[in-house]
Amino acid sequence: MKVIKAVYNFLVGDMVILIGVVIAIILLALINTVGALSPLRGTGEAIILIAAVLISLTVTLVREVWG
Amino acid sequence: MQLAWPVFVAAFLASAVEFVEAFTIVLVVGITINWRSSLLGALLAAATLALIVGTLGVALVTYVPIGVLRLVVGIILILFGLKWLKKAILRYSKHKALHDEEAIYEEKVAELRARGETIQQIDTFGTVLSYKAVLLEGLEVAFIVITFGSSAMSNTCSSACGIGSATIGAAIAGVLVILLGALVRAPLTKVPENTLKFVVGLMLTTFGTFWAGEGFGIAWPFSDAFLFVLLAIYLLSSFILIAALGQHKQRQLATASTESIAIPQEEVHR
Repeated sequence: MKVIKAVYNFLVGDMVILIGVVIAIILLALINTVGALSPLRGTGEAIILIAAVLISLTVTLVREVWG
Repeated sequence: MQLAWPVFVAAFLASAVEFVEAFTIVLVVGITINWRSSLLGALLAAATLALIVGTLGVALVTYVPIGVLRLVVGIILILFGLKWLKKAILRYSKHKALHDEEAIYEEKVAELRARGETIQQIDTFGTVLSYKAVLLEGLEVAFIVITFGSSAMSNTCSSACGIGSATIGAAIAGVLVILLGALVRAPLTKVPENTLKFVVGLMLTTFGTFWAGEGFGIAWPFSDAFLFVLLAIYLLSSFILIAALGQHKQRQLATASTESIAIPQEEVHR
């Protein structure tokens, strides 16, 4: 448990950022594997990735200031 | 040895882009954390690269999953970058607590830097950051050399001639980037601490998004030049966030000062 916590603190240390990035990865992985989502490949993926990064940053800052 | 000029120029330009990307990370780690950690990371990466290239040779292209590597490094850089960017934005908007342990450590670092002293202790974070960037970009340079060099095979140029030309092009690009970096190093040390950390956060997030995207197979418009577009997007968003959070802090302070004036007056009326 200590090792996991140390790795978590070293890598990110912020649950909101971690969850945001993980959700983005899952979404992009789904777009890459599920055929029905193939129209989103390329530009759609790029927009999702950039939006996920910006949303994670905004949410963690809002949580820090207003939370 | 015969030099295949088209391969030489193509490898020089493509490798220069990769070297600049790696050197940017090494440079910011050196300036914001310390040079010992930054150079240790870069040297360890160079040793790993030498081992990989020495062992696999031209077969490197077949065995190293560069897409997976880009994805992993990209995701880690996004995590690192957002962490730094968050702290820098909180400091710019005056929301960052001044007396936590981390802040005290950072104040000491800033104090030492202001006195022209440096912290010589190896910093794991800085070393790992430098290592990953140099390893990934170094592998990309190796890929460029092998693919450009191999594809240049013709009646007049053998595989060795092609790879040799690409290697010379890449090596010259590497030396030039290092020389250029050494020139800009000194002026960069005069930039304020939080500004540097803000820039580092922006750069790590930008490179991280770019590499993670490439790892997922995204073909960015304008290729590597899209890094500037990403940087502009994150820079603009950060300025908006700083302005919004700064206004919130000012309102908080104004409310607090109004309350502190109102309370003694109420006591006087009693």
